Amino acid sequence: MADEFAKGLGILVTAGLGWLMIAATYNTPTFEGRQLAAPNPDPETLNLYGQIAITLKDLLFWFAILGALTFWVVIPAIEQARKARSE
Amino acid sequence: MTGDTTDGQTESATDSDPGDVATDGGDEAAADGAGIVPPDGETPTWSERKQRSQGLSRLTYEYFERSRREDQDLRQQSSYVERDVLAFPTWPHETVRNLALMSFFVGMILLLSALVPPHLPGPADSGSTPAVILPDWYLYWSFGLLKLGPLNPDLSLLGGQKLMADRTYGVLANLVVVGAVAVVPFLNKGSARRPVEQPFWAGVGVMGVVFAFTIAVLSVKNLVSMDSHLLFDLAFLAPIVCGIIAYSVLRAMREGYMFDLNRRYYRLRPPK
Repeated sequence: MADEFAKGLGILVTAGLGWLMIAATYNTPTFEGRQLAAPNPDPETLNLYGQIAITLKDLLFWFAILGALTFWVVIPAIEQARKARSE
Repeated sequence: MTGDTTDGQTESATDSDPGDVATDGGDEAAADGAGIVPPDGETPTWSERKQRSQGLSRLTYEYFERSRREDQDLRQQSSYVERDVLAFPTWPHETVRNLALMSFFVGMILLLSALVPPHLPGPADSGSTPAVILPDWYLYWSFGLLKLGPLNPDLSLLGGQKLMADRTYGVLANLVVVGAVAVVPFLNKGSARRPVEQPFWAGVGVMGVVFAFTIAVLSVKNLVSMDSHLLFDLAFLAPIVCGIIAYSVLRAMREGYMFDLNRRYYRLRPPK
């Protein structure tokens, strides 16, 4: 159980840090207003790397949430169900 | 070892096989082991650790084996007094590890302060009074205790007048809270290592933490979008409810708890 927790936590903080870095670069137009959550910049103005980063940002965000949920909720639930079934 | 050797050759080959040297002392008592014994029966022997041949377990084995070897050399070279404590030398083990951790956290602080710097408001204007006046956040609890007016009893003897002003009552409430915090260490000496061992005192602790939070929320009741009378009642009921929940949960957890975990600790500080 502790292993599953560590895996989920590792995914959450690592992917979360990646999301934070991209969001701070592309979704923080000013430091005196909305940080990290401002709307995406116009994709026309971005170069290829910027477009890749914007896509990666969403991927990392959902990976952080779904990955943590998988290891903290889904896998333990499956194991509990399997144990309950075998008894 | 090939199959066509005779039994006698096999035995002699086994005795002198250089690949099978027991570096950890083997089964027989080692004269140079300097009395290093595993702390209890559950600790794996060095042979067992050595059998793990890959990845992190291998690295762990090599690290501990190296450290054990250095420890043993030190004991043999010097007039080292035998103690029941096994530890790592400050240099290089602890220092290198601490430097690595320090670099990581310093780098993380630099990264975060570069990516998301906090908003710095403009300079304070001493000519205008701000709309909201509050102490620093860690003093909210004390500020909340000044708002206990509804608890200040009025005496019919004095014709419905209060014995003391609400503000005096609030200041005295601070003394009550500080006094309670000061008394707790005398009531419980803290021989428990984990909350399950003493569910009652863990419940008291949860009550105190939740009360510190709710009384802090009460201090900013004009900023909370909730009926202020309900908030006042919750400030005192929520700690009790949370304390009871914590107590019953921990009480239920006692059944599967391994009190054996504390065997070594109890040798130093026996429980009452």
